[in-house]
Amino acid sequence: MEQRVNIRSMPQEDHLLSGHGACAGCGVAIAVKNLMRVLGRNTTVYVPASCLLIFGGGMYPHSAFDVPFLYSAFENTGAVISGIKAGYRRQGKDVTVVGIAGDGGTFDIGLQALSGAAERNEDVIYVCVDNEAYMNTGTQRSGSTPFGAWTTTTPVGSRVKGKRSFKKDLMAVVASQDIAYAATLSIAHMNDFVQKVERAKARKGFRFLHIMAPCPSGWKADPSLTYDLARLAVETGMWSLYEVEEGEAHVTYRPKEMLPVGEYLKLQGRFKHMDREDVEALQAWLCRKWRMRYAPSQPPLDRTDDLACDGDGCEGA
Amino acid sequence: MAAQTIAEAAILEGRQAQAFPFFGAERRGAPVMAFARIDDRRICDRTQVAEPDMLVVMDASLLDIEPVALGLKKEGCAVVNSPMRPEEIDLGVVARCVSVDATSIALEHLKAPIVNTAILGAMARADAFVSLASIQRAIVNRFGEKLGERAGSINSEAAGAAFERSREGMCRGERKMQRGNAWLPTWQETPPGVALGRWERGGMAVGPGSMRQNMTGTWGTSSPTYTRARCIGCQRCWFICPEGCIRRLEDDSLEFDLRYCKGCGLCAKVCPKEAIAMHRKGAGA
Repeated sequence: MEQRVNIRSMPQEDHLLSGHGACAGCGVAIAVKNLMRVLGRNTTVYVPASCLLIFGGGMYPHSAFDVPFLYSAFENTGAVISGIKAGYRRQGKDVTVVGIAGDGGTFDIGLQALSGAAERNEDVIYVCVDNEAYMNTGTQRSGSTPFGAWTTTTPVGSRVKGKRSFKKDLMAVVASQDIAYAATLSIAHMNDFVQKVERAKARKGFRFLHIMAPCPSGWKADPSLTYDLARLAVETGMWSLYEVEEGEAHVTYRPKEMLPVGEYLKLQGRFKHMDREDVEALQAWLCRKWRMRYAPSQPPLDRTDDLACDGDGCEGA
Repeated sequence: MAAQTIAEAAILEGRQAQAFPFFGAERRGAPVMAFARIDDRRICDRTQVAEPDMLVVMDASLLDIEPVALGLKKEGCAVVNSPMRPEEIDLGVVARCVSVDATSIALEHLKAPIVNTAILGAMARADAFVSLASIQRAIVNRFGEKLGERAGSINSEAAGAAFERSREGMCRGERKMQRGNAWLPTWQETPPGVALGRWERGGMAVGPGSMRQNMTGTWGTSSPTYTRARCIGCQRCWFICPEGCIRRLEDDSLEFDLRYCKGCGLCAKVCPKEAIAMHRKGAGA
């Protein structure tokens, strides 16, 4: 039985330091800051082109990471972290190597390098912080952008309103490669978040963490809503929390009932234009995903006690 | 948007104008620049403006971090978003100055601290090179088209209010200005592989962790207050704070480092006991 950490017992030392330049309320900053707390000092970070590179890593000669940090081309994350790990292995050093890419750098541009590293079962952690568009360059659509969302490349006009295709299920693509550990995380489910990072850190082989990171600027929402958006995403089925170990998927948090997706959409300017027909199309897609994810044939919840002190019912936990 | 709107106002008056931003990362709260150039003749110069006739400072906290008035012409004029009178503002050069509390005006009219239209009213007050009427027309055109008729009219009212409430005077020039230390290690100083260690030179740190010298606390318009007695030590705010401003003490109570707080309000949002409240900066403690 592995020891379970929570937000009270997790390491407190920061390795993504204050003074980074993220927007107020940035979901990526929350995700990476806590990821780094758990991974600890003996970590080397690689970040390709993304918001995180600009606000945290590579505004040469400055960096907000106080651990070794590398940067190369956009599409190379899987390949570069494989190489860094090989270098350490050659030197006889046991260092956690993590690549932190955005959704553009994972879903679209970095997919081949990611898939290659997964197939070779490289001993690295690949983290995708997913804010559902290319935010660093001012909100262009990616394979992760949800149906109906406004971006600068899926504009809202009189005939076509926002993105016309649905979000790619990247987690399924990656998990299908039988890797050591894969999990989806949410910054609103804090204990679940820390435990999954801890589990990934403890395993050997290729590990993939997919974190949903709301973006107040690109989603056109108030910075104070980042937490609510992350929480509502799970309650409406826009995001789900599970992990895949040795080919078996376990749901780690199951919402009591499915909230209508409108609750989530109405807080964000990027969905403001959506008409009834589009909302219904999205809702139908979500219902199908929900049935697949939470179907009774799924293995029973194996960590139900995590839920007691997560989400909203955490008072005094 | 402000630069584009002032250029559009000039064009409405039959002049030639151009407007463009400084290309940088698109992040809220980060210092950004935009330029507008207005002339009666055709403008062939397409470079950035280094020596402006008018300098517009949208956020007075920039004065502490950037030598913004360095290029301002002697006979030029500065417009500063600040509740202070011009005489209280230290730009680093003595110059004609118009101050206006555009943040309050924006909050009253737009219910959001978006000051780029209110400040245009103060610009018309500072120099009649473009009239308030043209500016308001340009606002209605530009914002109305993008955000709807109502957005056009409330933004235009904000500019009108700023025109009325602007205060004219001379600012102080006591602040010492110098160009930021743009030190980058030369290639001879850099080890192979362009790896950069933790170095410091001339008071500027580089390398791992050196972003810690960015005092991002000036970005926000609000900041948290913490009531120790209500805190149950759940650490949810500590987890959620994107800046890492919150430090946990021995007894599980918290300490807020406001030097880095950007005022997002997430700590107050996740607190189950309302031990954290957000209040607007400068609006009385």
